[in-house]
Amino acid sequence: MEIKSPGFLASIKAILWKDIAIEWRSRQMLSAMMIFALLVILIFNFALELDARARINVTAGVLWATFAFAGTLGLNRSMAIEKEGDALDGLLLAPIDRSTIYFGKLLGNLLFMFVVELITLPVYSVLYNVNLFNAGLLLVIVLGSLGYAAVGTLLASMAVQARTRDLLLPVLLFPVVIPALVAAIRASSGFLSGLEVEFIMPSLNLLIAYDLVMLALAYMFFDFVIEE
Amino acid sequence: MILIQDGPAETTGFMILGYAVIFGVLLLHVLSLSLRKRNLRRDYDLLKDLEK
Amino acid sequence: MKNDYLDETPQLLKVLNWISVLLLLIASWMVFFYAPLEAVMGQVQRVFYFHVAAGWLGMAAFFVAVVAGIAYLIRRTAKWDVLGVAAVELGLIYMFVNIVSGSIWARPAWNSWWTWDPRLVTATVMELVYLAYLMLRQGIEEPERRARFGAVYAILGFATVPLTFFSIRIWRTIHPVVIGSGDAGAKGSFEMTSTMLQTFMFSLATFTVLGIVLLWHRYRLGKLEAQVEEMRMEALDY
Repeated sequence: MEIKSPGFLASIKAILWKDIAIEWRSRQMLSAMMIFALLVILIFNFALELDARARINVTAGVLWATFAFAGTLGLNRSMAIEKEGDALDGLLLAPIDRSTIYFGKLLGNLLFMFVVELITLPVYSVLYNVNLFNAGLLLVIVLGSLGYAAVGTLLASMAVQARTRDLLLPVLLFPVVIPALVAAIRASSGFLSGLEVEFIMPSLNLLIAYDLVMLALAYMFFDFVIEE
Repeated sequence: MILIQDGPAETTGFMILGYAVIFGVLLLHVLSLSLRKRNLRRDYDLLKDLEK
Repeated sequence: MKNDYLDETPQLLKVLNWISVLLLLIASWMVFFYAPLEAVMGQVQRVFYFHVAAGWLGMAAFFVAVVAGIAYLIRRTAKWDVLGVAAVELGLIYMFVNIVSGSIWARPAWNSWWTWDPRLVTATVMELVYLAYLMLRQGIEEPERRARFGAVYAILGFATVPLTFFSIRIWRTIHPVVIGSGDAGAKGSFEMTSTMLQTFMFSLATFTVLGIVLLWHRYRLGKLEAQVEEMRMEALDY
């Protein structure tokens, strides 16, 4: 019997849909990420003890620190479910291009990050009394999360195959994601304080460059990382 | 900032500290390499004997 | 690897050993006696020569790790992995020297132990990346997978270095940080005379040769280690 191999996009969609469906059943990961993000924000509130003015200045940093930490939870979980019951082997045996596994997981991770970020923003707005309805900020969040998830998906695939898996992902991820975080914080801060776009451009450009480079590298290396 | 007085600032102490670190690490590294080599050689000889 | 691997130190390496010692002696003499005393910050400026040379060596070593990583992913022979680890180890040590000597230089020159200038921060981030590399390797037992993952991370990590550098540079130009008194680009804010330049170049050359020698020794050590490991495995089979 001939198994017709699904198209590239169809495979990605299938993997993405699978991850959404799995998460939808229990919503454990999203809940954990959400609670974690809120806790981080609370901790920052006590750690920084700022007056109203200073709060505006640190908003970008607090937000991105929160996203960076909460993101590791999602990344870990997303790859861990493939380890359970050797689900990954199932994916590898399927007649699909291996890179679709990468893109499928990437989109899943990205989606979950967006959910967490979109809920975090209004909560932060309320708690800190800062207006975060800002198109520029949203753009930076999209670009920054993309870079983060691009590298994160690859590194999580590696970390999950190691003995020290939960410890390892943050250790591997944070050093290499620093350029994206720095640029994202700078750009977010710029948009929030109404800086002229020409001053924000350098950070945005760097962020875009980061995204492109990391996407390309991660896509190239993914095959090497999941081969048996 | 260093106040520009007559002549350069007296910073010899820091220079010595800096080079102590540089040469110190260099030496420790070389020592570490030779120690590890010696240990491995010993293991090698031991295992070679065991083979017989 | 062949079973009876334990050869004499190659002639070339023995010669290079002596050359590197000689170069180091000459370079030291140049640094302490030949190079002039800097007019503002005094003797501590001399740290600059070996500080930069160490940073150069560290960076070069990490680059060798990238090349070794690529070679391993293509060829899959263990020797490339041995070279990769050797290079990373060397890089970590000399980057550390770079960072610490930079800090010692910064203290009298800019009045704080740490300046958030792009070069220093990038060196530190690199150090963290390759420490993570070691942790990655430690967490994996199968040698083949360990080598493969190490190669991927070594390459990925190195690719982020220019991005890190520029991201921090952009950070500082928009909002110059008032910690310490370092201004954004000004590491090495002194005039380089010709004797300084000569000392600088000679130090770079010295550390390059030194690096080759140390890398070669560490590589040989790595092969010996793999050999012993193999013999240990065989002995356990009885």
